[in-house]
Amino acid sequence: MRTVVTMSFCALFLFTGCVKDVKPWEKETLAKESMKESGTNPLAKKYEEHIYFSKEASRGGNGVAGGGCGCN
Amino acid sequence: MQLRISLAAATLLTSMAAQAEDYVSVQYLQYNESENRTSVSAPSIMLNKDFGTDYTLNVNLVADAVSGASETYYDAASGASAYSRGLNINADDVTYGNVEYEDTRVAGGATLITRFDNRDELTVGLNYSSESDFYSAEGSLEYMHWLTNSKNSSLSLGASYQSNEVLVKCNPDSTTSSCDAGSGASEAMTNDAINIQASYFQNINSESYAKVSLFYIGDSGYLTNPYSNVVRNYVEGGTADVVGENRPDARTAYGLSLKYANAITNNFSAHIGYRYYTDDWDIDSHTIDTDFYYEPSSNWLFKLGLRYYRQSEADFYSGEKNYFTNEEFASSDLRLSDFSAITYKSDVEYKISDDWSANLGLNYYDQSSGIDATYLITGVTYKF
Repeated sequence: MRTVVTMSFCALFLFTGCVKDVKPWEKETLAKESMKESGTNPLAKKYEEHIYFSKEASRGGNGVAGGGCGCN
Repeated sequence: MQLRISLAAATLLTSMAAQAEDYVSVQYLQYNESENRTSVSAPSIMLNKDFGTDYTLNVNLVADAVSGASETYYDAASGASAYSRGLNINADDVTYGNVEYEDTRVAGGATLITRFDNRDELTVGLNYSSESDFYSAEGSLEYMHWLTNSKNSSLSLGASYQSNEVLVKCNPDSTTSSCDAGSGASEAMTNDAINIQASYFQNINSESYAKVSLFYIGDSGYLTNPYSNVVRNYVEGGTADVVGENRPDARTAYGLSLKYANAITNNFSAHIGYRYYTDDWDIDSHTIDTDFYYEPSSNWLFKLGLRYYRQSEADFYSGEKNYFTNEEFASSDLRLSDFSAITYKSDVEYKISDDWSANLGLNYYDQSSGIDATYLITGVTYKF
């Protein structure tokens, strides 16, 4: 747990140390589908997460909703 | 005047982005592991619809047809089955190999996003999953708060509760159940999971953003895999017990997720993610996930990705048949072992018209435990 907290603070420090106030009319690139966190294909992302969930012992970090499965 | 034009352009862009959120996507997954292990055919559909600018509804449905075989220990004298178990069997009959299985799964989910006057978002989600021996229901809530008027940074807090029911065939070696093993009946066991995640999102500049998340997962109840066996009291040339595995009835996990996306050029962007996970079963894992998008024209989008995963083994895991004696917790399920995995990802999307697009992805998953799989994802999306 201590490792997790330390790494989080390091990441926050790095992110907030170099940010720029992006104006609304400068967000065209950020709004592109290829920049979305979920990727361009949300269903494909769900498939991938389901495969990892069924083949690996760890999970989490991609939001709180996901649904259950008897595959693990 | 210039400001007005810029604001009008920004409004138009926002409007176009909002319109682009309405879609129906139909996808198909074909997943095949080598050596005739697990195969999955899974069609799915997703609908995403905005209602004005304050509400977005997303509904998805998937049906899995799963067949093939998975590896476990069994008593070969009784046949290759996960239920070929017994006490004091001939040690020479203890076999580790594939046992066949098949199942179908239907799962669905829905989320409703509500946006308030300050554009903060509340997401309410429901998920349901049903298999012949497993049922799951989940509810989730997430609140996203913009930290600045420019909407360049936000904080999110979400939580979900999942309730699961597992139908477990009555076990001849069970010491905790009154279930009659001779009847062939099953008993319903339950477990639940709580997932809490807090995230901080930041636009770094007009080409990149980052997100850091902390998460907690608490599992409790029946967490054992009813189809996975272990060998206890193995005596070379003598006897052995092949019995069902037994896992602790609680697991607490914490983790950290970092995500970063950068549009390196106008038509090339990179997504890089890292996740650290640790739990009280002694499993630690590190995941590095990358995706690179290239758009040579407005019609084509290519994606290449690479994911690396490494986990340590659970403290009650052993793959050896002569390891366990009378330990309370024991598992030989490969998914709890020490392994690494690499996924090679590729995908191409073609925009047929303003409304229609098609996609085809080919991926390869290679786990150091010996499992490797090829999976194909293809489908079409209609925007309206």
